[in-house]
Amino acid sequence: MTDVAIEAHALTKTYGRRTVVHALSLEVSRGEIFGFLGPNGSGKSTTIKMLCGLVEPTSGEASICELDIRKNGDAVRRTIGYMSQSFSLYSDLTVEENLEFYGRAYALPRARRSKRIDELIEFSNLAQFRGQLAATLSGGWKQRLALAAALLHEPRVLFLDEPTAGIDPVARRDLWDLLFRLSESGVALFVTTHFMDEAERCARVGYIYDGELIAIGSRDELKRQAGVTPEGTARYSVGGRDAIALLGIAREQPYVRDATIFGDQLHVVVTSDVAAERIAADFGVAAANVEHIEPSLEDVFVALTRARLRA
Amino acid sequence: MNRNPFDVRGYGAVLYKELRHVARDRVTLGLAIALPIVQVTIFGYALNTKVEHVATAVLNEDLGPASVAFIDALRASQTFKVDHLVATRGALMAEVVSGRARVAFDIPPNFTADVRAGRTAQVQALIDGSDASIAQPAYGAATAVGGAFLNRTVPQIDVRPRVLFNPGLRSANFFVPGLIGVIMQLITMFLTALSIVGERERGTLDQIMVTPIGALGLMLGKITPYAIIGVIDMLLVLAAMRWIFAVPIAGSLVLLITLSLGFLMAALGMGLLVSSAARTQVQAMLGVLALTLPSILLSGFFFERSLMPPVMQWVGYLIPLTYFFEILRGIILRGAGLTDLVSPVIAMLALGAFVLVAASIRFTRGSSA
Repeated sequence: MTDVAIEAHALTKTYGRRTVVHALSLEVSRGEIFGFLGPNGSGKSTTIKMLCGLVEPTSGEASICELDIRKNGDAVRRTIGYMSQSFSLYSDLTVEENLEFYGRAYALPRARRSKRIDELIEFSNLAQFRGQLAATLSGGWKQRLALAAALLHEPRVLFLDEPTAGIDPVARRDLWDLLFRLSESGVALFVTTHFMDEAERCARVGYIYDGELIAIGSRDELKRQAGVTPEGTARYSVGGRDAIALLGIAREQPYVRDATIFGDQLHVVVTSDVAAERIAADFGVAAANVEHIEPSLEDVFVALTRARLRA
Repeated sequence: MNRNPFDVRGYGAVLYKELRHVARDRVTLGLAIALPIVQVTIFGYALNTKVEHVATAVLNEDLGPASVAFIDALRASQTFKVDHLVATRGALMAEVVSGRARVAFDIPPNFTADVRAGRTAQVQALIDGSDASIAQPAYGAATAVGGAFLNRTVPQIDVRPRVLFNPGLRSANFFVPGLIGVIMQLITMFLTALSIVGERERGTLDQIMVTPIGALGLMLGKITPYAIIGVIDMLLVLAAMRWIFAVPIAGSLVLLITLSLGFLMAALGMGLLVSSAARTQVQAMLGVLALTLPSILLSGFFFERSLMPPVMQWVGYLIPLTYFFEILRGIILRGAGLTDLVSPVIAMLALGAFVLVAASIRFTRGSSA
């Protein structure tokens, strides 16, 4: 058995004349957390649905733990867990009944079923809500329940489509702690997200734009990628005064190639012959407020998207 | 993907959760039980196609003994309720135009004289045609009263009809058995379609589709509770029919219930078919209505099918309810046995099986879109 958990080759989905996912190829190993990013409507969910067997690919191949998704649909379903975008369990069933239903859906024998339900209630810390209707849970607890339901049959690969959308920061962190524990136990995780801090937690990241996977690799590989910080330029973070005012100044400086607001900071890409002191003077801030930085993943995606739009 | 539409795995799991959904949704459950009772009451009591006591106005310009005898004959017919006697032709028309009278008789001045002389005596009857259900029988009754009146003087052939199976020609005997079919179809189609489309809308269907639950297992698991409700509804209407409206069941109750289960299969299949096409619950409701209204209108529930244009009769052959009505009225009113009902039974079961298989295949394909 190899370490490859997910393998896709030239996976394509078209609806009529519209190509939603174009020739997507990727590989995810056992125990790896793979972050799958891209703007809304770029083909993230369609990719996940193809890999889970919910949507039939138009062309291309994919396999889960060496099981072809077209030929071994049934075996694939037993190998994967799927947590969809919105809460997709039953609000009018209790926490325990929801788990019981999924245990039966995977045809777990009675003894194993009740053992797994106990384990997962323990794992997701849901014991206090066991007999409560799912409708009464808050967003974060609902997601934990959904995660527990997706794990009952001990899948080796877990797909999570925006698992943390709409839940509070503490609940997000808690959910990620659970995901790390899963990854340590050897489960491969394929996670889509809009949050850059979550993307930073992933071992490897893929970025899909308009149906095409335009970047894939580890964080460092992506940050070093050509075009992110072009040859002969350097990246600085400028702070110390209103970021919108800073952006206005940046537009007037001939040496600024690119400028993007990040919170109360402005990230600028400048020609490398310009020193930090000159930037501080031109922007009217103290020298301590100008800092040479490595690109963040967000910088990477912004740069890649802009390059695409220009092309 | 490479799903087998006849894979029944997961039936138990789906049934487990579905029974809980039904038990917890008290409002829907209550409606599903209350609806048949309301409908039986409406159809059994309010809907009466036997025309009696039609409001009638009379203008008697003759006032002779023959005209008085004619008015007595109208009163005696039960069809007419003569309670407006007017003095002018204008007043007579006004009675009809205003809707106070449905029928108006104008007895001309020479009526008694004509009768005495043995000449043809004329009476004009004005019938409000805006309500066809009253106009037709009123027309017939008016002619009959006139004929009978003449017969006293000129004896003619005396026809004595005997009505078989529903001697009182009671509407309840005709409508309530049919109502069993209408209610079973309405309730099961609505509940099935809404329940499945609801899962699609909430995204829970995708979550089910990633499990090894088979397409048929899912469908059967989802429809079983609604099949049970359909059977309860049928028994409720049957009981109301027997004990409230005193419609006797002439044939075999066992046969009736068995064939009802066959119809249930067709109704559930149609509900599934709607749910495989609809994306939202609103679409599903409209879809159920789009199938149910023609079913009720073309299957012979209200209107006799042999009187319809051939195209509509053909459409009626594609509706399972058409055959179920024949079966219901056959068993309940005419005491028909299985051998009398071979062709409707075969047609109904074949249609039901076709719908169910089509729904199952559509469901497997449609779910991955």
